[in-house]
Amino acid sequence: MSSDQTAPMTRSSSPSEAKGFWSEAWRRFRGRKLSMAALGFVLFLVLVATFAPAIAGTKPVVCKYKGTIYFPCLSYFDRSLEPVIFAKDRFRGTYPANLAEKDPESWAIWPLVFQDPYRSVRDNEWPGEPANPARDQGKPSRRNLFGTDQYGVDVFAKMVHGTTVALLVGFVSMGLAGTIGITVGATAGYFGGWVDMLASRLIEVVMCIPTLVLILALVAFVDQPSIWKTMAIIGLTGWTGIARLARAEFLRLRSSEFVMAARAAGAGPVRIMLRHILPNALAPVLVPITFGIASAILIESSLSFLGFGPPPPSVSWGSLLNDARSNLQMWWLVVFPGVAIFLTVLSYNLVGEGLQEATDPRLREARK
Amino acid sequence: MVSYLIRRMALAVVTLVMITGIVYGLARAMPGTPLTIAIGETDPSRKLNPADIERMKKAYGLDKPWYTAYFVWVGNVARGDLGRSISRKQPVARLIGERIGPTLALSGSALLLTWVLSIPLGLYASARSGAVDERAVSFGLYVLYSFPTFVAALFLQIIFAVWLRDTAWELPLFGMRGDGITVESSWLARTTDMARHAILPVICQSYVSLAWYSRFIHANMQEVVRQDYIRTAKAKGAGPWRVLVHHGFRNTLIPLVTLLGLSLPALLGGSVIIEQIFTWPGMGRLFFESIRERDYPTIMGLTFMFSVLTLAGQLVADMLYAWVDPRVSVE
Repeated sequence: MSSDQTAPMTRSSSPSEAKGFWSEAWRRFRGRKLSMAALGFVLFLVLVATFAPAIAGTKPVVCKYKGTIYFPCLSYFDRSLEPVIFAKDRFRGTYPANLAEKDPESWAIWPLVFQDPYRSVRDNEWPGEPANPARDQGKPSRRNLFGTDQYGVDVFAKMVHGTTVALLVGFVSMGLAGTIGITVGATAGYFGGWVDMLASRLIEVVMCIPTLVLILALVAFVDQPSIWKTMAIIGLTGWTGIARLARAEFLRLRSSEFVMAARAAGAGPVRIMLRHILPNALAPVLVPITFGIASAILIESSLSFLGFGPPPPSVSWGSLLNDARSNLQMWWLVVFPGVAIFLTVLSYNLVGEGLQEATDPRLREARK
Repeated sequence: MVSYLIRRMALAVVTLVMITGIVYGLARAMPGTPLTIAIGETDPSRKLNPADIERMKKAYGLDKPWYTAYFVWVGNVARGDLGRSISRKQPVARLIGERIGPTLALSGSALLLTWVLSIPLGLYASARSGAVDERAVSFGLYVLYSFPTFVAALFLQIIFAVWLRDTAWELPLFGMRGDGITVESSWLARTTDMARHAILPVICQSYVSLAWYSRFIHANMQEVVRQDYIRTAKAKGAGPWRVLVHHGFRNTLIPLVTLLGLSLPALLGGSVIIEQIFTWPGMGRLFFESIRERDYPTIMGLTFMFSVLTLAGQLVADMLYAWVDPRVSVE
């Protein structure tokens, strides 16, 4: 059963040309320039996160060393991806000089910006370039586009590599929150009665506990914080709004004719919920999920900002801001990550609003 | 009416027990106890010997499993006793009493500022709906709404405390009182000093809700101006402002009143992040510190207060809703 069932009467001339609900929504969404620009920005962030090691790093993207081709830059994604040969040949993370010295035949393609997100670049590490300035000397310059932090680590490189965290936090935590929210809301709305009573109470209890209280308690509860645990915590606390909406949608749709027809045809409750109701309830539920991504990014960066974030070496935009708190005269530590967080949150909010306007028939009627 | 209230109260008590139970369990499950954390952090050499820790654990009831200790706590609260803070050696009720004033000063001014500015802004947006300036203002408000508070706080700190240092525009970086101000200073000096310290935090606390409220009012007005009675008012010759304010705005008051009830917990609960950035000695900061110090009695006292306020706010919102809109009945 497809989502076509709730498709509103399209205004096309012949019924055979009637478009599906989602293609109609996409057409409406495309008409909103701001939402499209926001979607473009999110896609841009996805690109930056995917190609982060090729944009900023001190390890070659591709290199030929002693007759074999390697991709040392992949080790930025996971330590274990660093080719063993470089450790054996005592590169110690310094590639340019070692490559030339240990194999004159070697060649390499370098990242666009030769800067590392985890350490300061040393003097002459890249032939002819000086070391990064440290402390409050690291103003933005040609070599350090966004300046350097108090230890001389390049802010641009940190931000490029921190994009992954910003994106993952949104998707992973809201994926979790969406799953919990839809499951709880669907069960409550579909079965009603005492199940609904229990689920609603649970939703109310979680809603009543101030989010930050719950999160801080959970963060302190976790022994070794990591970025994945932070995402899990945000997901575990952020599902209530989704559950409420899902419950309302399932409550509304469970007595509709197509559900009755499915039940008459012998479909079980799980099948009816997943295959028949869920596709029709998805649009209203997607909207709070998109807004939730924005707030998840905000929560993660405020946690890092308060010093409750994942420990180094994971880089997040919020932890850059935390560094800035004690060095306010280093304005570049505030401006660049601050603007990045702001633009990302704004984009998700704009996408969410576009989605809402494109999928909510009541709003469409109101515009006429 | 009375039966409705009783039913709501009974449900609220059940919810309250569940919330405090969960938070108590979580707090006790956090690694470290108030004894090890508070003393170990200040001075490692002053670490207590195991026998002393056992003795103090008994004194504070930490030797019992959490559910037993929770029931003891519930019993004490039922008798009006919130307990004593372990790390601060003071009654929790007094600690809260000390912090509630600064928080109320901050969030009260922020709430007032929000309401005073958002109603004209929302009405302005409705009056000029669709015009270029309205769209610019609305987009500006939208941008403001997405601007993270802590980023704004840092920006403001850089501008007013670093770049404008030693000028007339300089504002204090943090705290609530300046160095030269004592209890003996004149009332005027104390008030202006506190106001100067409060400007940045109040701005940070109000701008998001200002954007949100203005958008909310605008959205509701758009709904209202399509109604038939607005057309009637226009047809009988009422001026545009009269139509907007007298006929339109009065009908958007209903959802606004609900919001007023729901903002009750935020008014007294304070904002953890803002109070932390500006080291404002309020409730949010107390909560943050008590989590760090694993000060269970304070965590529980504050959670209890937040939850009661949230539940009361919801109840007040529902009652106000029925009161302003005669069509709605609480039954």
